[in-house]
Amino acid sequence: MHHEPVQAKLFTRWSIPLLALMLAGAAAFVARFAFGLGATTNLSDNYPWGLWIVFDLIWIALAGGAFVTAGIVYVFHGEKYHVLARPAVWMGLLSYSFVVVTLLADLGLPWHFWQLAVQMPEHSAMYEVSWCVGLYVTVLALEFAPTVFERFGWNRLRDVWRTWSPVYTVAALGLFTFLMSHRLWMAAAATVLFAVIAWLTRPSADRTGVPVILIIAAVTFSTMHQSSLGSLFLLMPDKLHPLWWSPFLSILFFLSAIAAGIALVMLMHMMVSRAFRRPWNGEVLAGMGRILLGALVVYYAARIADVAARGQLAGLSGRPGALFLIEILGGGLVPVLLLSTDALRQKKAPLISGSSVKVGPHDFAVMT
Amino acid sequence: MSKAVLEDTTRCLGCRSCQVACKQANDLPAERTHLEKRRLGFQNPAALSARTFTVVTNHEVEDPRAPAGLRWVFAKRSCMHCLDPACVSACPVTALHKEADGPVTYDSAKCLGCRYCVWACPFGAPTAEWDSLAPRIRKCTLCFDRLREAAAPAELNGKAVPPEAQARMADAQAKPACVAACPTGALMFGERDALLAEAHRRIAGHPERYVPHVYGEKEAGGTSLLYLAAVPFDRIGFRTDLGERSVTVHSVPAMSAVPPAVIAAGGLLAGIYFLSRRRAEVQARQASPAKDASPAAAPPDRKE
Repeated sequence: MHHEPVQAKLFTRWSIPLLALMLAGAAAFVARFAFGLGATTNLSDNYPWGLWIVFDLIWIALAGGAFVTAGIVYVFHGEKYHVLARPAVWMGLLSYSFVVVTLLADLGLPWHFWQLAVQMPEHSAMYEVSWCVGLYVTVLALEFAPTVFERFGWNRLRDVWRTWSPVYTVAALGLFTFLMSHRLWMAAAATVLFAVIAWLTRPSADRTGVPVILIIAAVTFSTMHQSSLGSLFLLMPDKLHPLWWSPFLSILFFLSAIAAGIALVMLMHMMVSRAFRRPWNGEVLAGMGRILLGALVVYYAARIADVAARGQLAGLSGRPGALFLIEILGGGLVPVLLLSTDALRQKKAPLISGSSVKVGPHDFAVMT
Repeated sequence: MSKAVLEDTTRCLGCRSCQVACKQANDLPAERTHLEKRRLGFQNPAALSARTFTVVTNHEVEDPRAPAGLRWVFAKRSCMHCLDPACVSACPVTALHKEADGPVTYDSAKCLGCRYCVWACPFGAPTAEWDSLAPRIRKCTLCFDRLREAAAPAELNGKAVPPEAQARMADAQAKPACVAACPTGALMFGERDALLAEAHRRIAGHPERYVPHVYGEKEAGGTSLLYLAAVPFDRIGFRTDLGERSVTVHSVPAMSAVPPAVIAAGGLLAGIYFLSRRRAEVQARQASPAKDASPAAAPPDRKE
């Protein structure tokens, strides 16, 4: 697969406001450590997380585009979408890196982060998410590495990468399985399974593509932590409105991350082709639109079925009821209609609203 | 062998000796507060915080059985020391820990300051030092350090301490500061099973004095703080919506499913990979059948 470098100038007029935003973020980061969490965030014992964390979580879900696209291209052999794969992985790597930096500012005692490596509370969703995201970032970096090797002509490094990145990936999956199960046999089973997969899918000498095991690991890690972000909320049915809390939050979070991730990858492709005068792949976008339509229908079907099965649809009223309707209609029905026909899928508008699909459980009304 | 505290709120005067003793035992600074008489009566401060691990709540409850139809009820509130605590289950670094003998303790050397415990706790017990640059989590520890180190000196002011005095001093040390300070015996410290038996004995002995319910016996899977009261618990600020199951009932199965799910996801993805590759090969072969040289070729119309 040949990749065409960007010819247009990378610094556009849109870069200026974005740069200003980053500078403001950097200032806030410094202020946080200079004045403390309470003084800079207005968080309290009643609102120990606040919108800040929720926005972090939403960004992780949007960054799910990296694993969905990589999965479509390399695991499902959707060769047609290859053009989206590298930008999606790069976007994912950037997003996750930024989220990690943001979380550092959000932790009260971030310099104790190494404790995650020496404690093993396997039933803590936060522990699972921490390890899973950490390992996934390294896999993302390995996925993206060939772009760097190509750019600078580091062929020797690329050979090392091709040999050793699958080994690292298999080890990471085995380690993760052990940390989450505390069982050696289970870690051994996972290691053997992924080693066999890595061997069977090893790239032949003439192919320059990403080892498939990296993609399989990326999808696996993403599946685990996207769902575990939902598990974070399982401990507190009392803190979320029943329209948002569900024992199946893990599954709902995972499904919504697929839809939100695809939407963002499409949005990004459109923005990049416009800003950097890259070819507009109408056919690729239409195809992704079809996949997004499927993902949206599956997610919202699950979402509504879950709310209905828990008997919450009948008592739909008040502010929570209105928010729920806005979520279902604005985040679900509107993009589904906009994406529903081939003709419409050639247009831009549906994808913008589609990327707002991840409303997420954010109703703190129950908290005192 | 798990320790617990039983509070019989019908014996509580609202003197707040426990609140003061707690401040002393934990060396906590004063808080700048104001009375919110309309909402909280004479309760002060308004809530638990990183500077207040124990607070006595204050309730005027209409009760036809009480003189003049009005009853004052006080309750000493703090960490409930759940048998299966949400905070311990939430903590990603085991900074919060349920000791075998009852107390839920905290180790700031492990803590990341993520505050998941603050959010997860249904009783609002863990609190963060919001005004600190290195904000620890703070909460009642059931004075577990006092309990472990309970011992009387053999000598005081150059004089030997008689054995019975030593025993008395050790006994006073071997209970949480709040319990040791209680002047009316409203607070009792002991084995959870024994205290539960005592609570039920009191209810049975004086059914006119108590509502027939020991709060904490089953709430959220059971707690190590137990309460008796003359009025229904929802009228004196206790949560009655928690059910009898532990709060971890949904999260533990979800997290236990992760390792098998990793293996299943790997197998599934590999399966999809090989199937879709095979299909791509078959399609390519159909497109150009002349190139097909494989001896074990599948029939060209075979769908995978």
